[in-house]
Amino acid sequence: MTEYRSVTVTKGRGGWGGPLTITPTDDRPLIYSVTGGGIHPVAARIAELTGGEPFDGFRSSAPFDRIAVAVIDCGGTARIGVYPMKKVLTVDVHSTSPAGPLANFITEKLFVSGVGLDDVVAL
Amino acid sequence: MTAADPTELYTTDVVAVGSLVADFVQSGVLVLFGEQAPEELHEFSVLHRPRVQVAGPAVGDVVVLGDVRLPVLAVGDVVAANLLQLGHLDLKADGRDVPTMPGDVCVPEGSLPAVQVGQTIRILRPAPMPAPERTTP
Repeated sequence: MTEYRSVTVTKGRGGWGGPLTITPTDDRPLIYSVTGGGIHPVAARIAELTGGEPFDGFRSSAPFDRIAVAVIDCGGTARIGVYPMKKVLTVDVHSTSPAGPLANFITEKLFVSGVGLDDVVAL
Repeated sequence: MTAADPTELYTTDVVAVGSLVADFVQSGVLVLFGEQAPEELHEFSVLHRPRVQVAGPAVGDVVVLGDVRLPVLAVGDVVAANLLQLGHLDLKADGRDVPTMPGDVCVPEGSLPAVQVGQTIRILRPAPMPAPERTTP
């Protein structure tokens, strides 16, 4: 059994939504980074502080019900809505707000944006 | 004298078209991802395999989808990184000259065509107009 801890993620400058509290569990251990260039530093930080498992979504795939949080670098159209649609907590490192064809699924309880390293704080 | 050829910034072949792509195109959005994108993105994406990856688009470039040529009107700040790292592009047929979202590439309203497997998508930069020849009086 892994000991997991919680973090709060608040919106950064120009961001939207949140704050989110993220606590990985044995069922949902993955800090799922769907970003360019491998595991994003924000995802690495969340993993480090929570004990969750960093996971690169562009290298292999994982079922939604294993994901504690999805970290995206979405420019506002596609990835922004996919994970909220599946009720997966979503952190966008870019300062986006609900838009695109999936905008209806994006809520403050599921989504936070404009997030930098300083916006991830251990509880 | 013939005009110089445009510079090819990005060339890619379409390998799959998701079941929701037509709906997205209907609402003025075309989403591209490299074929390595995770499965949850496939449904609404055109998946493709790049052959040329030089640079992202700038205003004044042309996106060529099959026979359709779309002039680029605006480009968000994260477009180039998304395209070169993930093969990701969001084409928005909103006619705007300022992007709404940092990932947007804006093209004229109502301009998006249907995309098919096997098609080639290109981003071209037109050659600069040659300086007019000086005439002696």
